[in-house]
Amino acid sequence: MHKLRVADIDLLIKYKYDTMLKQAKFYETEFEKPQITIDIPDETLEQWHRESPHLTIDDIEYVYTGAAFYEALLHFNGFMLHSSGVVKDGYAYLFSADPGTGKSTHTELWQKHFGADNARIINDDKPAIRLVDDRLWVYGTPWSGKTDRNLNMKVPLGAIVFLERSEDNWVKQIKAVEAIPLVMQQTIRPAEKDRMIMLLDMLDRVLSSVKLYRLGCNISEEAAEVSYNGIKVEE
Amino acid sequence: MKIKDGYLLREVAGSNIVVPVGEGTMDFSGVITLNDVGAFLWKNLEEDVSEEELVQRVLKEYDTDEETARRDVAEYMTSLKGAGFIAD
Repeated sequence: MHKLRVADIDLLIKYKYDTMLKQAKFYETEFEKPQITIDIPDETLEQWHRESPHLTIDDIEYVYTGAAFYEALLHFNGFMLHSSGVVKDGYAYLFSADPGTGKSTHTELWQKHFGADNARIINDDKPAIRLVDDRLWVYGTPWSGKTDRNLNMKVPLGAIVFLERSEDNWVKQIKAVEAIPLVMQQTIRPAEKDRMIMLLDMLDRVLSSVKLYRLGCNISEEAAEVSYNGIKVEE
Repeated sequence: MKIKDGYLLREVAGSNIVVPVGEGTMDFSGVITLNDVGAFLWKNLEEDVSEEELVQRVLKEYDTDEETARRDVAEYMTSLKGAGFIAD
């Protein structure tokens, strides 16, 4: 078993394959008593592997340990948003969309345009959002999708942006009512009632207090400039 | 008649939304947004109730006439039944 601290939660977790060993390295810690334990039996992983033979057992372990973590996260005033998160000027901006739309491409453009030190990827695919001390924080986690771009840090949530492809670049602020179905599509929807209530209560808080946008963007560097100017937190 | 088991009504950021939970997730995977009257009717339909009783409750809750209440409830019931949310 490994001891990790992810999103300020002490996590006792079993894994043995390369992806998890590599991804989790920066989250290792020591503690007496875990807050979450994830111990997926080998037989269960092998069963899932038989059901998804196009994935390697290594991928299966990575995907399902992540799913277990994000499900447990709901019990800690937290949830996962399927998005690429970039940190600039001390705020995390989350770009959310279906796979293949260009979330990572967009945050890469931020890095190219503003410099990799001024636009850091906190998690390229599945950042955690938590309400801690009455403030919303974005956390990097070991589960960052196809890339290893994640950072073991927490940053105040700046904005949530729903990204779509477009020939020209534009930003439009949207209301919570428009964002609800979009967020529900980009998180793990718990089937179980108690956990669904936890998710909806988190969304109530997040969507009431954070600015929400739609972004249409192409893959020019101008997209990063338009996006940043449209969504940046004004102090 | 009543709403089938497996749906949860909750207020999120000022909107009344309904999502499937438990067995409901098998039939439907979207999100429904209800206006205030819709949410009022939905809550009342969580327990078995007749259409006539619903009309009476709407009249008690809202400043409206009986004809309008009857029409609104009938329209709402038609759309709920059509969408498969009602257990008879």
